[in-house]
Amino acid sequence: MTVLASIRDLAVTHRRDGIEVAALKNVTLDVQAGERLAIIGESGSGKSTLALAIAGLLPKSARIGGSIEWFAPPLGGRDIGFVFQDPSASLDPVMSVSKQIAEVVHTHLGLGWPASRAKARTLLERVRLPDPDSALHAFPHQLSGGQKQRVAIAAAIAAGPKLLIADEATSALDTIVQAEIVALIRRLVTEDGMTLLFISHDIALAAELAERIAVFRHGALVELGTTRQIIDAPSQAYTRTLLDAHIGLDADLLLNRSGLPA
Amino acid sequence: MSLLAVSNLTKNYRRTGKPVAAVDDVSFTIEPGETLALAGPSGSGKSTIARLVLRLIEPDAGRIEFEGSDFLALRGVALRARRARLQMVFQDPLAAFNPRATVARVLDDPLRVHGIAPRTERPRRIAALLERVGLAVDLAPRAIHEISGGQRQRVAIARAIATKPSLIVLDEAVSALDVSVRGQILDLLLDLQRRERIAFLFISHDLGVVRAVAHRVILLDAGRIAESGDARTVIDLPQSAVGKALVAAAPRLNRYRP
Amino acid sequence: MSRLRRFLHTPEAVAGAILLAVLFAMALSASLLFPGDPQAIAGPALLPPFQDWSLPLGTDRLGRDVLAELFHGARTSLAVGLAAAAAALVIGAVVGTLAGFAGGLVDEVLMRIADAFQTVPGFLLALAFVSVVGPSLGVVVAAIALGTWTGPARIARAEVLSIRERDYVAGARVIGMHPLEIAFREVLPNALPPVLAMSSVIVAAAILTEAALSFLGLGDPNRVTWGGMIAEGRTVLRTAPFLSIVPGIALVLTVLGVYLAGEGIVETTAVRRGLS
Repeated sequence: MTVLASIRDLAVTHRRDGIEVAALKNVTLDVQAGERLAIIGESGSGKSTLALAIAGLLPKSARIGGSIEWFAPPLGGRDIGFVFQDPSASLDPVMSVSKQIAEVVHTHLGLGWPASRAKARTLLERVRLPDPDSALHAFPHQLSGGQKQRVAIAAAIAAGPKLLIADEATSALDTIVQAEIVALIRRLVTEDGMTLLFISHDIALAAELAERIAVFRHGALVELGTTRQIIDAPSQAYTRTLLDAHIGLDADLLLNRSGLPA
Repeated sequence: MSLLAVSNLTKNYRRTGKPVAAVDDVSFTIEPGETLALAGPSGSGKSTIARLVLRLIEPDAGRIEFEGSDFLALRGVALRARRARLQMVFQDPLAAFNPRATVARVLDDPLRVHGIAPRTERPRRIAALLERVGLAVDLAPRAIHEISGGQRQRVAIARAIATKPSLIVLDEAVSALDVSVRGQILDLLLDLQRRERIAFLFISHDLGVVRAVAHRVILLDAGRIAESGDARTVIDLPQSAVGKALVAAAPRLNRYRP
Repeated sequence: MSRLRRFLHTPEAVAGAILLAVLFAMALSASLLFPGDPQAIAGPALLPPFQDWSLPLGTDRLGRDVLAELFHGARTSLAVGLAAAAAALVIGAVVGTLAGFAGGLVDEVLMRIADAFQTVPGFLLALAFVSVVGPSLGVVVAAIALGTWTGPARIARAEVLSIRERDYVAGARVIGMHPLEIAFREVLPNALPPVLAMSSVIVAAAILTEAALSFLGLGDPNRVTWGGMIAEGRTVLRTAPFLSIVPGIALVLTVLGVYLAGEGIVETTAVRRGLS
């Protein structure tokens, strides 16, 4: 298996009001080409910083140490697609859906505007947006949260990226829509042979989608393994804590039902 | 007699001219010391019901009886006084507090507004509230934005119990918390319920959590009740379409347990 | 204090602060350096500047000490400018908060009143008010505030409209807080920053309006004002132009100082908010 990106001793520090805050500490990690890798962790774990660092989207003020070696150096925006948590914030509110997607196609694939628009329509079909023809002329505020995220995904894959990064892309959605978006991401990644970096706080969700899971805490990589290893035989206590904290449909009841009112 | 009895509650919103029912003819009761969960997809009306029950918005039709009297008939001073008994904890504990507030001020407000303790005695009460929710007393002078998310939600719970309520509306109160903190907050809530017989209206989209902490559940779909009953029974074997969809969509760990 | 440091790193802000410091020093030291009545005759009439070092800036048509007048005039300018701006900001913030928070009929009535005030040019309003009520320092302050409170009111209202939908306002209602306390203790303080950002422009405009009123003879007749000095000098503009130029320069530097310092403050606080 080829390595898409090999991350070596990556360290990122932010300056805030003159104080240095370490967001990532000496992270070493290989992203395999074509794999679905989940990065999980709680707030402050550095998982989003890692996503931004890989995508080359860190603010200029961030101090970066270590290296990210690419199999083939990517062109940001074309070779890396990025889906953010809040689709309302990542879509332009005054630009129609077709224009936003066609612009990506036009910029990165060099197609003319009519061809770019046609491609946008195909993309909307691919992300299973109901009624893609009328959606083309819609503006983001006319769509539901799930539909907006579908449009954001269409824009992210428009230039045919090798790597798709989804940063908490389903966290703002309800469970049903979340499952639909996860299924969509899985299908698109498989169809296009993309590598997926799935950033999430939800270990169960990550386990459903990813082949490998990397657990982060306080800016450091705690544990990396195949999904089965992480779920069934975690080597680190913190991973076990995360697994035990998951309250699934089969979890033990927390409620002591003896005192139940009649 | 039920602690809270909601009957035929209806609320319409105007969206591009035509009215859309956010809550459509919803009735339910909550008994003292009970947890009733409202679950459903986004837009199902669960948060609107929470805000109606709290009289943050007014219904278009329906009745709300709280502690034996007509809650919707209360106005002005009488309504504000009764609010002591019906509290709320929000999803995002940072947005739920004045950005300029300190922990002490946030807890001082309900004590002062309801005349629960004279000024000189309030610092002692605040300390007791902080201890009750498992926080260090020296947190009091800190600004709300300086403390962690889990600590903030504990402060929110302390504020809610300051006026000795009989019912607390928990609007996605643990959804934004880190999983390791979530369990502790749920434990705290259940402990409060056990000791002080506080009832909860538990709004959540997470069926796993609902099943673990609620006595009964109401599944909502497009503003209407799709199904209701014992939380475990409903979630283990849902009958309604929305119930089946919610259960099917819940992420599963499928852990191997020796 | 990193905020102070950031302020001091902005050259315009420092220039503004220095100008303001000089102005305040003049206002505060006026009765120490020139203890007598500045309107008393101090020497021969129309003495040009830099001739007699006991009267460095010369004398006016009636033989009054120009420098003493300038120092005492600084007092009036500052007092009226600050008081009028403060009054406008307070009235504006209160009206805007009430309108935005209460909504409905209250909002409608208050905003129509604001409309009515806004359709009449502020200076005309001040002019009419002073000529009806009669010129005194308090009346001039009220007259200027009357024409300027609508701007802060609109900004406060817009800010309150967005803040009142936040969770913490709902939270304050849930604990049973009185609506007026919610409006003025929870909402208003958080709506203030953009309103205060206007204050430098308002103070500068108030100083200019006061000068213009005095120039037209509608200032407080018992006080020396820069506008009054310029008007005095107008009659002898050809023979003794310095009588108008000196207070004119003082006025320009004051307005510039207020504006630059105010912008500096806005800039430094904006940077802070942008970071967090």
